[in-house]
Amino acid sequence: MNAKNKLITSISVLFLLWILVAIISIFTGSYELNPFKAIFSGDELSRTIYFRIRIPRVLMAAVAGGTLAIAGASLQALFRNPLAAPFTLGVSGGASLGALIAIRLGLGNTLLGFSSISIVSFIFSIFTILFVYSVSKVHGVVATGRLLLAGVVVNFLYSALILFIQFFSDFIQSLQTIRWIMGSLDIVELGTVWKTLLFATPGCIILLSVTKDMNLFALGDDVASSLGVNIGLMEKKIYFATSLAVSAVISVTGPIGFVGLIIPHVLRMIIGVDNRIILPCSFLLGASFLTAADTVSRTIFAPIEIPVGIITASCGGVFFLWLLMRMKKEVIV
Amino acid sequence: MEKIIEGQNITFSYDGTEVLKGINISISKGKIVGVLGANGAGKSTLLKILCGILNPKIGRILYKSKEIKNVSKREIATKISYVPQNSTFGFPFTVAEVVLMGRAPYIGRFEFERDSDWKVAINAMETVGVKHLQDRLITEISGGERQLSSLARAIAQEPEIMILDEPATFLDLKHKTEVMKLLKKLKDEKNISVIAATHDIFSALFYFDEIILLKDGSIFAEGSTEEILKEEILSAVYEINVTVKKENGKIFVLPTE
Repeated sequence: MNAKNKLITSISVLFLLWILVAIISIFTGSYELNPFKAIFSGDELSRTIYFRIRIPRVLMAAVAGGTLAIAGASLQALFRNPLAAPFTLGVSGGASLGALIAIRLGLGNTLLGFSSISIVSFIFSIFTILFVYSVSKVHGVVATGRLLLAGVVVNFLYSALILFIQFFSDFIQSLQTIRWIMGSLDIVELGTVWKTLLFATPGCIILLSVTKDMNLFALGDDVASSLGVNIGLMEKKIYFATSLAVSAVISVTGPIGFVGLIIPHVLRMIIGVDNRIILPCSFLLGASFLTAADTVSRTIFAPIEIPVGIITASCGGVFFLWLLMRMKKEVIV
Repeated sequence: MEKIIEGQNITFSYDGTEVLKGINISISKGKIVGVLGANGAGKSTLLKILCGILNPKIGRILYKSKEIKNVSKREIATKISYVPQNSTFGFPFTVAEVVLMGRAPYIGRFEFERDSDWKVAINAMETVGVKHLQDRLITEISGGERQLSSLARAIAQEPEIMILDEPATFLDLKHKTEVMKLLKKLKDEKNISVIAATHDIFSALFYFDEIILLKDGSIFAEGSTEEILKEEILSAVYEINVTVKKENGKIFVLPTE
């Protein structure tokens, strides 16, 4: 099967999967929702829950999961390393710290018409990527050991700073922050979804526009260059676009971990490594995964909701360890 | 004879250390040219400059009298292909996918390969003899097979010039010979010019038309294979005493201690 047919087939299948997951998610929850009653009858409570709570939440889960997964796939292509992801590189941590600083400083809601929280969050994440990339690249090749160490150290540093800010917060602020840091989708309205899309969409489009270059980049800097890739430009597009998309999501949901790591891997095991297929499919599978994880987080201890970040991070952590064990020894330098 | 690629006064340095010092070369169409010299003589850097991967600090590269700087990278990629000494593969693509990447310069940003591109790729795999590996993962095959796959990718680019950095260094005798024969076949059948860095004087003797000898970033000698492979020249370049013997019309180069 050639790449084009493979793309069309996998996108169709994954889109149907998302529709299915979304429908199940909308009609699952602590309040029993009857689809017909919610849409067609005048039952005010059902309508409110359906349109104001469940639908925005499912859409936000899709946007967040999709964006984090596509960013993960792109970072893996940039670092030529399967362990790269917004979470492991400290990009999520940077975006979180940035968002937290903006919230605590009480920066105005908007700056030149954009959410100031997203902007500060974006600045922190782009510097994190630049830093980790330059530290881990030795003689044009990313060394896995350096990459993971740099990511871990940056994450620790950000956690320390977040705790520092926490320490000087009052009890209620502190509780809010902790809740946010765990990653959750519980206070989302439709407007938030559009605002997130405003940044996430251009980010994802830029990433999708360099998928061919990402494939060639896998053959090494020199060969990619000899095949016509402007490597500097491609790298800049990936830094910029992943930071933009990830910070847009994280400034709303908090750092939802490991979606960006797991999803591209699962796909590569099934449909191969062609980034022209992996990126769009990552978006769709990421969307389904986070929607499903959120449904579990809402229902497993119903009526108590646990933050979705706990679900994804525990799935992701186990997966990450399995991946590390499975990788050949010589890959870890 | 038509000059296909020329380098004028190429000068290049890494971190302040001058690696190439004002090199002038010109390569004719349909020739196999070997670049020889001790380790660190500047061979790899010269090759990367010739295919536009690196830009010289001083000097210029002309492709058919046009300065390479003024031609888009994608267009150059349809004229010149490059095979590194040791190909790296960041992800486990299949051999067919890697070879198809040679078609990238002919395909638009949001386009996919056409049937004609597949045909070129399959031909290239047949030429090199890796077609039976097409569905295998590039990370799982042997080093020799991987190098042959890289070569197939470079052929699928349908270039006029192929630039290879020690194409046979990591290959066994059989594969080494196959690669050299293949380069000669490409030259004879498609009139492709080949520029290859090598440490392998023996292959150079049998398959190369011309040789450029580099020493400390400058050209020490250049000319036809017979002119270059002489005791006094080789001894000076490699800084070791070398004996060149002729027996039954065959030339042997041996170090003498």
